[in-house]
Amino acid sequence: MRHRWREPLAAVVLAAMVGCSSDGDLLPPRDPNAKPNDAAHAQTAVVSGARRLTRTEYDDTVRDLLGDATNSGFATLPEDVNDPFDNNYMTQLVSPALINAAETLATNAAKRALADPAIHVKIVPCQPTGPADTDCLRKFIATFGRRALRRPLEASEIDEYAALGSFAVEGNAFDVGVELVIRAMLQDVEFLYRVEVGTEVAGVPGVFKLNHFEVATRLSYFLLGTTPDDALLDVAAAQKLGSPGDIRAAAVTIMANPRARERVNRFHALWLSFHQLPHPPDLTAALRAESAALINRVVFDKPSSYLDLFTSSDTYANDFLADHYGLPKPGSTTGAWVAYGNTGRKGILSHGAVLSAGAKFADTSPTQRGKFVQNRLLCREIPAPPPTTKSDNPPSDAPGNCKIDKYKAHATDGACKGCHSQMDPIGFGLENYDKAGVFRATETGKPECPIDGAGDLLGVGPFNGPAGLADKLLASGELEACVVTQLYRFATGRREATEDTPVIQGLATKFVQNDHGFAPLLLEVVADNGFGFRRAQ
Amino acid sequence: MALKLGRRALLRGIGGVAIALPALEIMFDGKGAHAGPPGAIPKRYIVCFNGQSLGGDDDPLINDYVPNTVGANYDLKSALAPLAAVQGDVSVVSGLKIPTAFDNGGAIPAGGRSDDFHINSLSPLFSGMRSDPAQTVMGATSDQLVADAIAGSTTFKSLVFRVQAAWYLSVSAPYGRDIISYKSAGAGKKPTPIPATVSPKQAFDSLFSSFVPPDNTGAQKAAELELRQRKSVLDLLDKRTGRLLTRLGAADRLRLQAHLDEIRDLERRIGAIPPVASATCLKPGDPGADPALGGNQGSTFDQNLGYSGEDQRAKVFCDLIHMAIVCDLTRVASLQLTMAQSHLNMFGATGQASDLHEIGHHGLPGKDVTLQMSKAIAWHMKHFAYLIGKLKGTAEGAGNLLDNTVAVMLHEGGHGFDPASGKQWSSHSTENMACLIAGRAGGLKPGKHVVATGKHPANVLVSAMNAAGLATSALGEVNGNVPELFT
Repeated sequence: MRHRWREPLAAVVLAAMVGCSSDGDLLPPRDPNAKPNDAAHAQTAVVSGARRLTRTEYDDTVRDLLGDATNSGFATLPEDVNDPFDNNYMTQLVSPALINAAETLATNAAKRALADPAIHVKIVPCQPTGPADTDCLRKFIATFGRRALRRPLEASEIDEYAALGSFAVEGNAFDVGVELVIRAMLQDVEFLYRVEVGTEVAGVPGVFKLNHFEVATRLSYFLLGTTPDDALLDVAAAQKLGSPGDIRAAAVTIMANPRARERVNRFHALWLSFHQLPHPPDLTAALRAESAALINRVVFDKPSSYLDLFTSSDTYANDFLADHYGLPKPGSTTGAWVAYGNTGRKGILSHGAVLSAGAKFADTSPTQRGKFVQNRLLCREIPAPPPTTKSDNPPSDAPGNCKIDKYKAHATDGACKGCHSQMDPIGFGLENYDKAGVFRATETGKPECPIDGAGDLLGVGPFNGPAGLADKLLASGELEACVVTQLYRFATGRREATEDTPVIQGLATKFVQNDHGFAPLLLEVVADNGFGFRRAQ
Repeated sequence: MALKLGRRALLRGIGGVAIALPALEIMFDGKGAHAGPPGAIPKRYIVCFNGQSLGGDDDPLINDYVPNTVGANYDLKSALAPLAAVQGDVSVVSGLKIPTAFDNGGAIPAGGRSDDFHINSLSPLFSGMRSDPAQTVMGATSDQLVADAIAGSTTFKSLVFRVQAAWYLSVSAPYGRDIISYKSAGAGKKPTPIPATVSPKQAFDSLFSSFVPPDNTGAQKAAELELRQRKSVLDLLDKRTGRLLTRLGAADRLRLQAHLDEIRDLERRIGAIPPVASATCLKPGDPGADPALGGNQGSTFDQNLGYSGEDQRAKVFCDLIHMAIVCDLTRVASLQLTMAQSHLNMFGATGQASDLHEIGHHGLPGKDVTLQMSKAIAWHMKHFAYLIGKLKGTAEGAGNLLDNTVAVMLHEGGHGFDPASGKQWSSHSTENMACLIAGRAGGLKPGKHVVATGKHPANVLVSAMNAAGLATSALGEVNGNVPELFT
């Protein structure tokens, strides 16, 4: 068993003989798993680099490896850059803060795991005969190492880890060795980062075919946000992740995992900025449940066109949330579907979670909301202001002025107008909904200032309220294309470059062909011919 | 509760072998961290940062910070009120300015910034280098330059801490507003950012986990074992990472080499001789778990009230910086109290349900916006004064630790003309800037208000660097110090 994984060592030895490949890599040997179509499939391979686990991925991975639900990484690891996704590896920095945190987290997690008999028995696959039971320690290293490093360990690696067993003998306790192995593995670069090497494809310089375990890792983190489980590692070990068809089949199995729902929800939370909400706990919980229910219905429970997410005529609310919105109470503390009726609401853009985006503690910002719609829903970047334009200054609050008046001043200021005309009028159309999504007829705290809710999506047309905005966004055709681009960013862990355009366009076409099914879109991403490859950066 | 430690004559060496180093004993007489001859006492450098300007939009009151009187015994305005107990050790430098492109016919001047305010003031403020279109800090920052010169063999070349625990604005990211320390990456290269440690608990563990109770041989043995275990683990990581690097493409190799460099630095740190306990070098109390991020009481960051117990975090970081200096674990620290363009909820400090950035933008006369800004500044000053007071209250040589320390408090902006909007009284201005410089290192004569009209904040940093023993005449593109601070 432990001798099976010889490829990395062989790679190093052979590479030393044959020199460097096109991206400066040492040239690996010809892939024994190479398939006849590889060269053709490699054409759509995209750039990928070593991606560090995000704080959330780290916590979920430790949870799955060690049954540890403390989420300790979140508070200790450096804050991820939400761009809007937290997994953009191009923004990741190394620092003493990171290294110190990784060491402390690993040490504490190892101690917690071994202090819990139920977890102990799950991770140590044998009953040690004593502190010096090397066979048992090696078994643990092989089984836990495969999970933690997401690939089988070479025998020489097992030897290295087993050397830590000397501390078990010294301390007269087998678990000392286990603890140190866990500490070492949870600090390993191959644990903290998803490192992909692969094998260079013959005839396609600079493109590398990932090995089966690297594909398993890509799949699992994309679809579940966590480490591959034993079942998926077994699929990799059986070499069943080497073709688009195999990868699609594995993905179908993964999508049945309940964590796939959480992952899809997380994508939406980051994309639509409700991963953190500026509200008290009860409202935060109710708003998150509302959005999760709609996403789950459209994607998983009653799969339908993903565009229904934006046009749904009802919403999932408990009595507390219905009261918050002024909707009829469903008579439920947990929640039920409540019809919007003619309230002017429709779909997820009417959710308090989404309407919280860009809000400050005091009030909504029409500019921030407009920017949000442009950047997140239409994938349009508002150009940076010219060097002589002030961009980050909220309008002054003249006494007696209504809020809308000061924002409208942007439209008459030559320097501001260019950018603000692309943002503020969108926000004006949502002004009837406050920072928690509650309808208001007048400005908060200013009954003398009525809100007409007249908005305009430049180039598409006027609208009023979130329902009207959803209609305009769908009519523009840009929203559905943007969804694909955002998902692509989430999948690749970076912003797209020009070279990515054909892949994104291909996915967008399939999105339409599949009647805008979101789960099918996820499968198209992983079943793309290029998914099992990486292009050197 | 502080745990008083006995002195340890035995210091741990490589591999846990105990080595006697009696020569060090002469440096410690039990009265203070460094009680030897004056030449033996190192200098210390601290830079603190407050991510806000001094006044509020459209308020002709440009600040409630700069004293009316010049020289000693200056009057304390509301922003500086918390300094009352340490005023004699703190100088106020006013009249400072970072020049703009507008001032220079449209081109960003040396040591200056582009006209758009946020983030662009940071490069000149921290490094003395003009801002660039990519909005990154363009030179090594003063704390890192000083650390290069005076860190000596201290375990931590510098401490880089941040109090504000998260960016808080859900629709954006800080893009550099969260970093105030940059180290040189070599001539002609952009400097390397040093993201701060944000967890006080982690900072405590990193600094003080090697401390063990006095005369407790059991604890000593346990600590020695733990050290050997950590070393074995890190040694394994080092070997494995080095081996992996040879198999990677160029871009990944670069990325993970940076990680390996940090692993090696951690190996060096834990291999360093642990601090020698003394009458003043005591293990601080364990701060316990960090306050919840975002005010969240659950397990994930799904609530964001813009506040994570920063008041408590600031106090712990000040305690840790103080004791790390006392124990000579470090001689240089940067403490970012708030991020630039900070979205920290300041309700607890100001009574206004508003983040720090918004406070400055509530505009127009009659709203006392500058006084609101001053309340927010005062919150920062409370912690600065606490740190200064602790340094002053620690005996060292014939005097106290502050005699050998220089500490600077910088602010993101001033108040005045904003070339971007054309407004006369704007918080988006680097006119009428001011800062603090405290301590007596290098012959500083604190306790006065110096009006340094036309000088650059980096001139104050040059003074501070000089006081810390770095004989430089410039920081980045900004030349000269403020001589009055030494007379």
